[in-house]
Amino acid sequence: MKRRIDLPLLITLTILALFVFVPMISAFEYSIRTPVEGGYGLTNYKWAVADEDFLYYILRSGWLSALTVLVTLVILVPTVTWLHLSDSKLRPLIDGLSLLPLVIPVVAFAVGAQISLPEFVQNTVLELPFLYFILALPYAYRALDIGLNSIPLKTITEAARSTGASWSRTIISVIIPVIRGAVMGTIALTFALSLGEYTLTVLLHWDTFPTWVTFVAQENILGAIAISMMSLIIPFILLTGITLLMPDRSAQRRK
Amino acid sequence: MTSKDLTLTNVSRRFGTVTALDNFNLHVGVGELVALLGPSGCGKTTALRIIAGLESLDSGKVTVGEKDISKIPAHKRNMGMVFQAYSLFPNLTVEENVAFGLQMRKVSKHLRLKRAHELLELVGLPTHANRFTHQLSGGQQQRVALARALAFSPEILLLDEPLSALDAQVRVNLREEIRRLQISLGTTTVFVTHDQEEAMSISDRVGVMSHGVLEQIDTPDVLYNAPATAFVANFVGVMNRIPADLANGKVNIFGKSLTASKKGSESGKIVALLRPETISVKKSSSQGNARVLTRSFQGASSAIICQTHEGTIVQSLMASLDTGDFHPGTLVDLEVSTNEVMVTND
Repeated sequence: MKRRIDLPLLITLTILALFVFVPMISAFEYSIRTPVEGGYGLTNYKWAVADEDFLYYILRSGWLSALTVLVTLVILVPTVTWLHLSDSKLRPLIDGLSLLPLVIPVVAFAVGAQISLPEFVQNTVLELPFLYFILALPYAYRALDIGLNSIPLKTITEAARSTGASWSRTIISVIIPVIRGAVMGTIALTFALSLGEYTLTVLLHWDTFPTWVTFVAQENILGAIAISMMSLIIPFILLTGITLLMPDRSAQRRK
Repeated sequence: MTSKDLTLTNVSRRFGTVTALDNFNLHVGVGELVALLGPSGCGKTTALRIIAGLESLDSGKVTVGEKDISKIPAHKRNMGMVFQAYSLFPNLTVEENVAFGLQMRKVSKHLRLKRAHELLELVGLPTHANRFTHQLSGGQQQRVALARALAFSPEILLLDEPLSALDAQVRVNLREEIRRLQISLGTTTVFVTHDQEEAMSISDRVGVMSHGVLEQIDTPDVLYNAPATAFVANFVGVMNRIPADLANGKVNIFGKSLTASKKGSESGKIVALLRPETISVKKSSSQGNARVLTRSFQGASSAIICQTHEGTIVQSLMASLDTGDFHPGTLVDLEVSTNEVMVTND
């Protein structure tokens, strides 16, 4: 049977694609301009990579973001699972509270959140993953919430428990693989948000990749754009890598 | 691991103002299959979940063999459980689902897959090992769930309405299979159901529950023929409820004087409880005492539903051969074939 073209869907997707890709393509075009020689070339990229700070800051932001993902998963997966299983009256309240990071101004949030963190991370760079975690909370919480809503969580959990799995094994061996899509979404959102976070980082006087890019931009705007392009591509490669490492087995065999 | 016996002693559980279990006592012998039967909300599922450790108890204790397990968490109880809803892990293949319990018990991969294949053979799905659960029918999924619950040789097998979501034919086949497996493995089993036919057909004993207490626990034959309470009499099997007067220990039903067997202090206006097979229908030459409403053919036997001239609906169960003439509207005489009748005030 010949598949009919869904026109409204096609239009929506085209608009969406334009919205996402036009700025990226424009930025890319700008980043490969070579004003001195004229025409196009990779001069700006070579310049960016040659700067020894580039690797330092991309790695620093990379491991801070990875740590944020870890903090998010360790804190959020058991918490949201518990909220779902307990039928707690607190759930609507926590749904609402999880949105607060979106409405509280970062300036107010930065200082308040900082002093509420455990002492061993206060005033060390390790405070950033915890603060990024809070900033990513509205998105991460919702991704997991939707994932857990879409499965028969209670039965699966009880089946795992009665078959001999402790709570931690139930979460790691059963719940996370079953809501794999939601967990991947949470990882992607949290990682991307942490990698690009600027305002809070500057307010707290830390240097990360985004703050370094703004610093570099004052000196070489084309170089800064080249760096930004790379910072778009690097998480994309990383996330693709994670997805491949955590394959959806049932989807594979379904083919 | 060999099966053990299971004892619940004075177990109580309340949810807010609702008492789910009230000083509940139960003993299930080694290798025995006991069904807990009752209307919804009678506490049967709560009892099962307390045995499994999925629900806490307010007071009382649960003992397996000699060991008090009341405080032991669910995953350390070594009980296999099959749920009403399909509860297989969708991210695992059939064999991995079955082997899950052994994996949690740190059995080597080779041994646990070998055991999983043995179990799949037992439940009749040897060729489905590498499929995913969404590729199976409901009945197949419950077979896999059963295999998973049995793979680690549990001390107790718990079945929580495992057949409720299945088609009629599959239900009957699977319940026979559960019974066959349970007998061959000798696993102590508690089976919760609201379907009395299911309970009566495969259990060694059936416990009838109402409002959080066990009304009666006995073999299916005793429950049917000698119910201890009016509730059990009404709940198990079909029961005719015929209004009558009790005088000097006698009740007159369809012109015959029967000895009343009382369960309490019944007197005066009572309801007589009679099984359909104790009532026979004869074609009447005159007015008779009832009129046929319908005849329902069930193979060897047929149920004749009649209405007495007083308005009471009465069901009779007779050999089909004798019932061909009972068309709707036929005037008939109802007769009672027993000499004793159970009476109640409710």
